[in-house]
Amino acid sequence: MQRFLDPEVLASISSLDLLAKTVVDGFVAGLHRSPDFGFSQEFAEYRAYTPGDDLRHVDWNLFARTERCYLKRYRGENNSQLTVLLDASNSMQYASGSSSKMDYARFLAAAMFYLAIHNQRDAAGLIVFDDEVRDYIRPSVRPGQLARLFAGLERAEPHARTDFAKPLSHFQNALHRRGIAIVISDFYDKPETIVNNIAPLRFRGNEVILFHVLDRQEMRPAMKGSAVLVDLETNLKLEVIPEYTRTSYLNKIDAHIEDLRSRALGAGMDYQLLVTDQPLDRALREYLTLRQAGN
Amino acid sequence: MGFLAPWFLAGLAALGVPVFVHLLRRHVTTPRPVSSLMFYERGTQSSTRHRRLKYLLLFALRTALLLLLVLAFADPFVRRSNADANGHMLLIVLDNSFSMRAGTRFADAKRQALSVLAAKSNGEKAQIIALGGQLEVLTQPITDEAQLRSALASVQPGDGYASFGELGRAVRSLAETVRGPIDLHLFSDMQHTAMPANFADVILPGNTKLVLHAVVDDPTQPNWTVESVEAPTELPDPKDLRHSRVHAVVVGFGTPAAVKSVSLIVNGKTIASRKVNVPASGRAAVDFAPLDVGYGFNRCAVRLEEDDAFTADNANIFVVRRSDPERVLFVHAAGDTRSATYFGAALRAAAQGSFVLQSISAEQTADVDPSRFAFVVLSDAVILPPIFEHTLAQYVVKGGNVLIGLGPGAARHTSIPVWGGEVQDAHNYMRLNSVQRVGQVDFSHPALEQAQPGHNNGGWADVKVFYAAVVDSAQARVAARLSDGTALLLDKTIGEGRVLLLTSGLENLSNDLPLHPVFVAFVDHTARYLSGSARLSGSRLVDSFVELRSTGKATGAAANAEVIGPDGQRPVSLSEARTAQTFRLARAGFYQIRFANGRDAVIGVNPDRRESDLEPLPKDVQQLWGGSSSSGESQVQNTVLDEMKNRSVSLWWYVMLLALVVVFAETAVASGHMGTQREEA
Repeated sequence: MQRFLDPEVLASISSLDLLAKTVVDGFVAGLHRSPDFGFSQEFAEYRAYTPGDDLRHVDWNLFARTERCYLKRYRGENNSQLTVLLDASNSMQYASGSSSKMDYARFLAAAMFYLAIHNQRDAAGLIVFDDEVRDYIRPSVRPGQLARLFAGLERAEPHARTDFAKPLSHFQNALHRRGIAIVISDFYDKPETIVNNIAPLRFRGNEVILFHVLDRQEMRPAMKGSAVLVDLETNLKLEVIPEYTRTSYLNKIDAHIEDLRSRALGAGMDYQLLVTDQPLDRALREYLTLRQAGN
Repeated sequence: MGFLAPWFLAGLAALGVPVFVHLLRRHVTTPRPVSSLMFYERGTQSSTRHRRLKYLLLFALRTALLLLLVLAFADPFVRRSNADANGHMLLIVLDNSFSMRAGTRFADAKRQALSVLAAKSNGEKAQIIALGGQLEVLTQPITDEAQLRSALASVQPGDGYASFGELGRAVRSLAETVRGPIDLHLFSDMQHTAMPANFADVILPGNTKLVLHAVVDDPTQPNWTVESVEAPTELPDPKDLRHSRVHAVVVGFGTPAAVKSVSLIVNGKTIASRKVNVPASGRAAVDFAPLDVGYGFNRCAVRLEEDDAFTADNANIFVVRRSDPERVLFVHAAGDTRSATYFGAALRAAAQGSFVLQSISAEQTADVDPSRFAFVVLSDAVILPPIFEHTLAQYVVKGGNVLIGLGPGAARHTSIPVWGGEVQDAHNYMRLNSVQRVGQVDFSHPALEQAQPGHNNGGWADVKVFYAAVVDSAQARVAARLSDGTALLLDKTIGEGRVLLLTSGLENLSNDLPLHPVFVAFVDHTARYLSGSARLSGSRLVDSFVELRSTGKATGAAANAEVIGPDGQRPVSLSEARTAQTFRLARAGFYQIRFANGRDAVIGVNPDRRESDLEPLPKDVQQLWGGSSSSGESQVQNTVLDEMKNRSVSLWWYVMLLALVVVFAETAVASGHMGTQREEA
């Protein structure tokens, strides 16, 4: 079932609905097979009855057997709200393999939406942004929300350049209810700027996850000869020699990732680096972990 | 340096293709998109320089590949000195036959040979061969030019007869030992008489390249010569006009009709002269009679008085020995009177024989000394007094010669005197009512010598043999056999002497040989052969051999043989004088010889008269032999010298090899570039 989470396989599935279903069903099926994963949303624990407790929660079967009164406690019956902030700047259309970073981000968002709405009964919404907010689908659990979200993802073609500062005010207005905010971007900006702009999302009690989507070639570029590089967002050209990419570039990108990670964690946000040739389960697992934490 | 196919150089226009590709497409590069240039820094200078270097390398390789391909098709060559031609051997053959004495032929030939030798490169091996009466290999294949030059300079004109057939055979055997190619340079007057009848004899092996250097000054000059002289070698009586005469034949080669003066010279004095009309390119005979000579050896010559194109062949020399008639001891059986009659009649009838037959019966030989006789005949005399038999055996060992005829009496006695064998059997064909004829005759044997035997086996086929003894033919030369294979005439060498054994009788009872004319010739030849008079005087041809002794073993101090050449020198060393069995008469002139059996001889030696015909080989035959089709002699000479100094070495193979290397290099470099472009795409 793991192969259904592979981005290479998902790239060949045109329907986001089917894709999300495939990913999530496969992922959940994988969870059920795992005996070590002790997560359950049905039953949590027994607690001794104390006066004032709701009698509807008393386990009468147990009382009949033991003549003791226990309450049966359940977990997570409250609904959460998932909002995906998808970066649709031009840099997201970079691809070294069969799927671009944008495709990967779509797969990821679609899988999140499917998991949230279909499995968790959570409200899910989408904000597509580049240097401004380009699309906003309010979080909801209404029927047809999943289709709307998928349509929003389909419409989210890379455009313009990334600017976190500008659309952030809109984020804060949109995320007025506490929930989970997932930012999917390649974060080509200063980590300080990114974190400073995104951190206010947590002020309303949101859990914020940064999914840092990068291509393998961006992390470890392989250049056999000197080449002219063109920036997808600014169209600037630059001649680069392979020696540089083998030394200085690696140091810089690693420092950038580490800086972003540390700043995000320092600001109380979760950070997850996702490489486009990796399966999607890491991101899904991250989401569910946060969901389990009570959000 | 040059090109064998220079028109292929037009392909150099194809060099425009890589120029076009690299000039117009070199800067077309596909930019490589990246998400952000946030972490990149410019590396323009080094990048550009590196790329230019690589592209220039690719351009250079492609250009070089096209250039090499065009060069390979144009087939470049260099002229390289023959110094490094391993296994290439220069074979210089200088004709020093008698005809090369005419005019300046030999000097011209030697000068040309020296110039060819001088053109030889230092590393090239060469061998010098003199083509005269015998092929003389003067050097081994060596590179030492001084030694080669010395060997070439030592060649002097000889008196022998050159045969291109012998040269062909020698070169074929030489080519079997030499692996590399052979350049055979023949310097000769190219006489047509030197060419064998069968052209296949002169065909050279495949690795031999023949270059003919003809040194013919003027082939149309007339030349007369004394072709042959018939004169008695032994002359007992000068007044006997039947024998005392000299018959000479004058021949002209390419000559007009002319009157020639011919002189007979005896011991340096002209004793007679004749005028003879020689037709155009024809022959004329002249006789001198009587031949008045003194006792002993008389050195005679028949000479043409007028000089012509080739004066060296104007004389024909011979030796006439005047002596008293020699006695022949004829020993017959007691009852045999016929054999002496027949043999004596034949001996008297012989043209050049000068023998007196002394006939005695076997019983009377006890006190006879055979050494006083020219030779001894034993006719059916198988029973001899022991003392005579012993004396006769000693006589043979010391050089005496005996003819034995085995008549019917031999069948009763198994032992054959002197012969050293026994009568094993006796065939009496009369009892069987059959007659055997002579089936096989060796006409090269001196006793049976005939120039042209004819269809009836030289007359021997008519001879009927009624009786023949069977003897052991081991260690003997069988000169004649009967039809049933029985040996009829055997020749055995015992000590210094010879024994001829006729297994039938010398009378007309055991065969009818005495009744046939061939008997006279047989007796004549046998008498001359056994008496040794044939080799004591007369004339021979250059390069013929005289037998100094019967065996190669020295039998004492008296066994020394001596030879004094025409120039008064002794060509035989002391050791050879004791052991040499034969001697080659290499020069023309009078040889004075003392044989091992103590007999003296003076022999006149003449060159082979085929050398007097100076007409060269036709041009087409020369070209056919040499495989050359070029026109002028000088052009051939220059071309040959140029080819000897330098040889063209084609380089297309190396060029193609280099092109292959460039192809690999271009593939490697180009694949590197294409890999970069794929990465960029």
